[in-house]
Amino acid sequence: MRSSKRNSELWIAFGFMMPAAILVSVLMYWPMVDTFRESLFASSFINPTPEYVGFETYRRILADPVFWQILRNSVVWTMGVVLLQNVVGFFIALLLNQQLPGQGILRSLVLLPWVLPGVVVAILWRFMYDPQLGLVNSFLMRFGAIDRGIGWLAEPSIAMAAVIFVAFWKGFPFSTVIFLAALQNVDKEQIEAAKVDGAGPVRRLIDVVIPAIAPVAAVNVLLTTILTFNYFDIIYVLTRGGPLNKTAIFPTRIYEVGFGQFRFGEAAAYGTISVLVLVLVVASLMMFRFFGYKEVRS
Amino acid sequence: MISRKTLSVAVLSAGTMLAAPVAHAEQIVLKFWDNQQTESGLSVFQQEAVKRFEEENPDIKVEVTTIPYPEYQQRLLTAVQAGNGPDVSTVDQIWNAAFAEAGAILSLDDMIEGTSISGDAFFPGAWESANYNGNLWGVPFNVDVWFFAFVNKDLFEEAGVDPATISTWEGLEAAAPKLTDPATGRYAIGLTGNKSEYPVVMTNSLIYSNGGTVLDENGKCALTQPEAIEALEYYKRMAEYAPAGILNAPNEPMRELFLNGTLAIELWPALEQPALEKSEIDWDVYAGFAPEGKTAVGTFGGWNLVVYKGTEHQEAALKFVEFMTREDVNGDVVDLIPANVNAASTFLQENRAKPDMMLEHLNNAKPRPLSTQYLQVSEIQQNMVQNFLSGSASVSDAAAAACAAIDGL
Repeated sequence: MRSSKRNSELWIAFGFMMPAAILVSVLMYWPMVDTFRESLFASSFINPTPEYVGFETYRRILADPVFWQILRNSVVWTMGVVLLQNVVGFFIALLLNQQLPGQGILRSLVLLPWVLPGVVVAILWRFMYDPQLGLVNSFLMRFGAIDRGIGWLAEPSIAMAAVIFVAFWKGFPFSTVIFLAALQNVDKEQIEAAKVDGAGPVRRLIDVVIPAIAPVAAVNVLLTTILTFNYFDIIYVLTRGGPLNKTAIFPTRIYEVGFGQFRFGEAAAYGTISVLVLVLVVASLMMFRFFGYKEVRS
Repeated sequence: MISRKTLSVAVLSAGTMLAAPVAHAEQIVLKFWDNQQTESGLSVFQQEAVKRFEEENPDIKVEVTTIPYPEYQQRLLTAVQAGNGPDVSTVDQIWNAAFAEAGAILSLDDMIEGTSISGDAFFPGAWESANYNGNLWGVPFNVDVWFFAFVNKDLFEEAGVDPATISTWEGLEAAAPKLTDPATGRYAIGLTGNKSEYPVVMTNSLIYSNGGTVLDENGKCALTQPEAIEALEYYKRMAEYAPAGILNAPNEPMRELFLNGTLAIELWPALEQPALEKSEIDWDVYAGFAPEGKTAVGTFGGWNLVVYKGTEHQEAALKFVEFMTREDVNGDVVDLIPANVNAASTFLQENRAKPDMMLEHLNNAKPRPLSTQYLQVSEIQQNMVQNFLSGSASVSDAAAAACAAIDGL
């Protein structure tokens, strides 16, 4: 009797879940599966009838030095932005968590870069970095740091650092907000107890605050990694992946191949590889987090 | 009692009411897509021309869709691929061959027989851009040339250089150091080297002016030929006198520098003139540059009108193409220069400085390679320019690598 009631409850639960499950499958998973399927066919605008080529496109991509450059760039870009964004975001959150005068205004100001659309930020920084008319060169020249205009986005050796800085500038408020929320939930009694035990500010930060916010920090790193890896607008507007492909990452390459040259099969293959790379990165981060906790617990 | 007259009126009215929907149903509706590159009020002019066309052809109605240039390529290709494309549209000259190869558009050779459409009416380079594999796939609609050299006369005067001397490579090379002073932020010439079509059309123009080409008559890469190498070497030398940051420089910042009076020469198509007229710059314009004894040859830019295979109204579509490229209409419906030579001549006389010089430069201009894989060829050329401008490869090595890549496509 109880079992049949349980069965009918299960069916009702499935019934309620089905619309959402169907929507998610159709809108999210089917396009992903279809992208992989398309990557096994050679198709372009001039050859619109797809021709099955299996993994040939993948073989060609992996044999192309540009692919490995894009892979390296994607890793450097993601690590650079995530590291800067989270470290600086954390310290700014610490500052904002103090009882400073005008705290409300400060918090709003810090959020400003984050609420700007990526394209606007990129256009803004294109002007800032302009070798002739840009504020960055003008500022550095005024203080004697440089004696001639530098093409920040044009020098192959510094272009990646320049675009990382822009993405960090736009993204750090996101990390700040999450860290700030976490800091405000740290148990005050623990901090007081540490004070009573004679712990100074640095010791309290290392032994009380950081362990308390570690789970939030991990989620923060995970989210910013996924968002940064998939960033497109900032790099595309600033450099289009140049110079010499030094700032090309997976999303810019996919756009260039798919919508710039209409090689749909190759774009789909790049898309599939990029998802695999991201899954690997995210899995590594989650493993690191899992084993990190295990270590702490043991 | 109903009178005979009343009855007749009633019958006539009923007949008209019944006939009206039939007449309406027979009206052909053509979908025409174009893009807008300048703020010239193009869509308004086109709507007016369309009214004229509809008056001349009461059985045809035209729906005009004007799309901003940056979105045009993607929207058009997506629509064509999905089978919801227009009946007639403009396509960039560099897409024409690919559209033909993809089977998206109609060959017009047989269709234009008996119409007023003829190659003689258009600029030779523009007509060439509409031909692929021995067939005609479009009709030139509008054109412009990369590039005309716009000069700041005040900067030339200060440097003691006669602007007319820059029409030769030698003259430009002699003038460039005098026009450049990085300490005061002044530069001779606005060259580009970013990932875009700008460096491609600029280097192509130098190659054409030196008697070279990008692809030879067999479709093989000709960038390693001496004429091309000399032109690319020249571009690299002249980059010394261009504003810093050339590897990420599109042409728009060059315009800003020209307009703020720190750049002596900017390279743009003739469409730049209205912007300069609004500025306070004392400017003049010359055709591009060529080695002593040779003629400057520009790279054609512009759009062709094509008729889609999917259209159910081929005849009406061609009638519309014929109308839009007619001498008395073409000048009213384009925001570049009309592709119809007579219309262009009138347009240039009324709207552009040195109209005769411009007309001659348009007549000499050559299209970019007519390849179905043009977009890949262009990307390879962009990489080549970046490679030699950055110093990561010599000009000849960069050209050899580009040719290997192009011939391997």
